[in-house]
Amino acid sequence: MTIAAQILVFAGVFVVLASAAGLLRAKDLLTRLHFLSPATTLGAPLVGIGLVLVNGVHLGSGAILATVVLLALTGPILQSATARLEARHRGEIDEDLPS
Amino acid sequence: MTWLLLAALLLMAGGLGTALWLAARGTAIERLAGMQFAGTVTVLTLLLLVQAYGPSSAVILPLTLTVLAFAGTLVFARLLGTR
Repeated sequence: MTIAAQILVFAGVFVVLASAAGLLRAKDLLTRLHFLSPATTLGAPLVGIGLVLVNGVHLGSGAILATVVLLALTGPILQSATARLEARHRGEIDEDLPS
Repeated sequence: MTWLLLAALLLMAGGLGTALWLAARGTAIERLAGMQFAGTVTVLTLLLLVQAYGPSSAVILPLTLTVLAFAGTLVFARLLGTR
């Protein structure tokens, strides 16, 4: 079980580090926001599931799962808000249209 | 628990360094992306460090940080939108 946990945790760390490399290479904010998504929606759940495998069925495991689920849910909301802010800043959003 | 510390070290070196670099350059909206990444990396690093060192009840720290980082970034986005 520990081997599986190690594989999952390091896979999650690799996803986050690959996202970091993409963030550094991206020239534009909207492109950069695309590289934020894998860290929250893929990397975080991989790390969380790996840690749950280490702990077993435990109250702390529930808190770990709640943390990574919250990260995976709130990440896209934040990226969407930032992208909308950037689009409004560039004047690419028609303010008369309903959002 | 050495592998947990190695994973936390990798995240801190590669993730937090990148997030600080992004949060220190560009316009205010571009720096917001760096702050979001810093929040994600800090939560994951705290999860790994709590697993390695702390009591399991300390998982409340990354859980709280997730909620606070979400609310804080939304407030920043709101304030930047009114400028």
